[in-house]
Amino acid sequence: MTPSLIKARFIDGPSMDSQLRWLSIGLFVLIATLSVVPSLRLLVEALSQVTLSASSPLAEVLRSERTWIALKNSFYTSGLGTLIAVVLGCGFGFVTTLTNIRGRAVWVFCFMLPMMIPPQVTALSWLQLFGPASPILNTFGIAPTLGSPQPMYSAEGIALLLGIQSAPLVYLALRTQLIALPQDLLEAAQLAKASPFRVWVDIIVPLCRSAIVAGAALAFVSSLGNFGIPAMLGIPAGYIVLPTLIYQQMAGFGNDMLSQVASLSMIIALLVLAGMLLQQWLQQRSRYALLGHTAKSISFRLQRWRLPLELLLAVILCFILVAPLFALIVSSLVPALGMPLTLDTLTFSAFHEMISRQGVTKRAFENSVFLAFVSAFVLMVVSLPLGYLLMRLPMRTRAVIASLIEVPYAIPGIVLAIAFILLFAKPLPFIEISLYGTLGIIFLAYLSCFLSVCLKPVLSAMSQLDPVLEEAAQLAGARPLKRLVDIILPLTAPAFFAGGLLVFLISINELTVSALLWSAGNETLGVLIFNLDESGDSVLASAIAVLVVMLVAGLMSLLSLCAPRLPKGVIPWHD
Amino acid sequence: MTMKKTLLICAAALAFPLSVQAQDVLTLYTSQPNKDAQMTVDAFEAANPNIKVEWVRDGTTKLMTKLRAELSSGVVKPDVLLIADSVTMESMVSDGYLEAYLSPNRTKYEDSLYSDKGYYYGTKLITTGIVHHKKAPQSPTDWSDFIKPAYKNQVAMPSPLYSGAALIHLATLTDEKTLGWNYYEQLHTNQVKAQGGNGGVLKAVASGTKPYGVIVDFLAIREAAKGSPIEFVFPKTGVSMVTEPVAIMKGAKNKAAAKRFVDFLLSQEGQQLVLEQGYLPARGDIGVPAGFPKREEIRLMPFDAAKTLENNEANKARFSKIFEG
Repeated sequence: MTPSLIKARFIDGPSMDSQLRWLSIGLFVLIATLSVVPSLRLLVEALSQVTLSASSPLAEVLRSERTWIALKNSFYTSGLGTLIAVVLGCGFGFVTTLTNIRGRAVWVFCFMLPMMIPPQVTALSWLQLFGPASPILNTFGIAPTLGSPQPMYSAEGIALLLGIQSAPLVYLALRTQLIALPQDLLEAAQLAKASPFRVWVDIIVPLCRSAIVAGAALAFVSSLGNFGIPAMLGIPAGYIVLPTLIYQQMAGFGNDMLSQVASLSMIIALLVLAGMLLQQWLQQRSRYALLGHTAKSISFRLQRWRLPLELLLAVILCFILVAPLFALIVSSLVPALGMPLTLDTLTFSAFHEMISRQGVTKRAFENSVFLAFVSAFVLMVVSLPLGYLLMRLPMRTRAVIASLIEVPYAIPGIVLAIAFILLFAKPLPFIEISLYGTLGIIFLAYLSCFLSVCLKPVLSAMSQLDPVLEEAAQLAGARPLKRLVDIILPLTAPAFFAGGLLVFLISINELTVSALLWSAGNETLGVLIFNLDESGDSVLASAIAVLVVMLVAGLMSLLSLCAPRLPKGVIPWHD
Repeated sequence: MTMKKTLLICAAALAFPLSVQAQDVLTLYTSQPNKDAQMTVDAFEAANPNIKVEWVRDGTTKLMTKLRAELSSGVVKPDVLLIADSVTMESMVSDGYLEAYLSPNRTKYEDSLYSDKGYYYGTKLITTGIVHHKKAPQSPTDWSDFIKPAYKNQVAMPSPLYSGAALIHLATLTDEKTLGWNYYEQLHTNQVKAQGGNGGVLKAVASGTKPYGVIVDFLAIREAAKGSPIEFVFPKTGVSMVTEPVAIMKGAKNKAAAKRFVDFLLSQEGQQLVLEQGYLPARGDIGVPAGFPKREEIRLMPFDAAKTLENNEANKARFSKIFEG
């Protein structure tokens, strides 16, 4: 039997290589089109009007003092925001995954939802809660006097909201790692009479470092490109960050606006490259190979700490979910902005108007749900072989490719949209078909923008995979695709689902990319909400936002129904 | 497998509905609010049954960004523009993107409302005035009230750095002898807070976060009519205004239909529609909408679009220096 096996492997050999080769070529073409081409197009735009004279847009941008102030501010708010996201995301992650806390599924479910509430709503609800007009504070007579300074209008206020927005990114990245922790290590530690605290510090945290770093990197990059929060809180305080500075350039009347915007975006791209190098360096120092899932999840007994901890989680959720959601619902039930909600003023006319009279609502829901599902699915399917191939590359090459993938996510959505207009406004060469003005261009832009969101958890999970299993399969003659599907996929399934879920949640009410790319008939939910809000119909906008939150909560509940048929751990809010 | 996947993606992209190319299609880019844009389009289509209008709606800033990006890649998508302000139109004229057309209906309008060569025509007057919460302790009547101590840290205004209309407001007020740049410096001393746009001001005032604000007329008047606890005031010194001009693109595919669109907006019927939507029509012989004082009582402050375009960078820099330190 042995000679025939050797013979079989010998014949099999070249075709194994060809499978891998085709896979690599296909994927690199994909990355090139999705990530590199849009970034390059922006670089060309940034350099387009560069002349030897000192007044070219790029030189002007680099010379302007405000560019550097915005850069510094961006770095500060995103950095602090990331820190808050890590504390919140990890806190929730450790507590809900590792302890015997009650109602675990509910906590996790609720922690996913703040991502779905537009940050402007969260900010506004806080301003009202703690402002001079606060109904609660006024009841107790402790409301601040008219004209007292608002602490939310500050760099720290911006960072706080950025942190809350991106905390689920850290949480999901961390969780995929936590449920893969090997039980035997912990049992060994417990046998050695190590206290839960020591187990946590010496075993769990080091094993999760790579995942935490991956989550933090995602949070940083997403905060860097965020426009909504600094626009709401920074403009009144005269505090500029790079995305708001970019918007200022757009609001100008100038002709070289595009080059200036592109130049500013290149600065963000450079920041991202620096961040990626840091991430690689941090993750390199935390490589531990793990073998699959444990049969039973870990559970520390909290004993007398359980109730206080549960209360703490409840208070945090009140601030980041209940209060904003409540404010959102209230503002969707009044006839006009600023009216108090009483039994007399209560009306469902906004819902009625949007659901039964405006055809655009149905279209926007269909388009956004379709885009979110398809983007999440395609990116999950792509991430598997892509992650696999990236892990086989040398460290440096991998770092470069990973940062190239990161750039479209980091530059503000509106700038990415400009790149796509520049690329696709004309019909495609050779086939003479125009993607511009169809859902197709938004779809492509989503793929480009969110590839890194999906890939991050996957890469982090793969980097911790013990190669022994795959080598064993290879020795048994399994070809690369079979090894991918039968060995790597089951072991990293929670990471794939986490990635896909993140893409879905982010794209369902995505605004800034689609804001420039939509066209009649191809509206998305984000565009619909924003346009209504901007036209002064903020009651209607709130009604749609409430419907979106309900839709997402509904879809998430549906997913839990399917959980028993899916691999263990893929649905975060289901054990 | 991956090649297949790539092919599948391409196939999926191709299967998306491509834009329909009917016989007589007019493409409109507008910054009107959704509902008004739909009304305008419906009325025009009713009057011209053989023309179908495809329209894109966005705030002026985003719409211009989209348009500039398209133009920069050598494509002219819209046939007509209907956007907030004449300064943006001036910049399009100076870059040579607009087509001159002398509409026969122009005779009914004041000279200052359209470009003399016929590049663009103002269709309505959107003025910027004062709004206050009904429970606010003071009732402001003029711009100079906002620099009084009683208003310290109580006023919200749209930032000229983010909103074109606010920049025009700034240009108008700084040109006014009694106000000038000194006024803006005092606004900053009095801790007036800039917001991203008019929508932000409306929210701040209606929710009581800031009891007073600087805002465009129709937003406040419309919302007040729905029951919002706010009130709009036309200041004594006068209001600044934008004219929501309409213009034809030089590379327009359907110039005949575009001209009819311009004529329609300037016609009696088109102006009556503006009135119904709750805006001040540009044509002087049409009435005023509910909630507005008589036309004679509204003082419009003078404003020069070409000069504003020229001073644009300097104005922004100076404002930014005062308010962003």
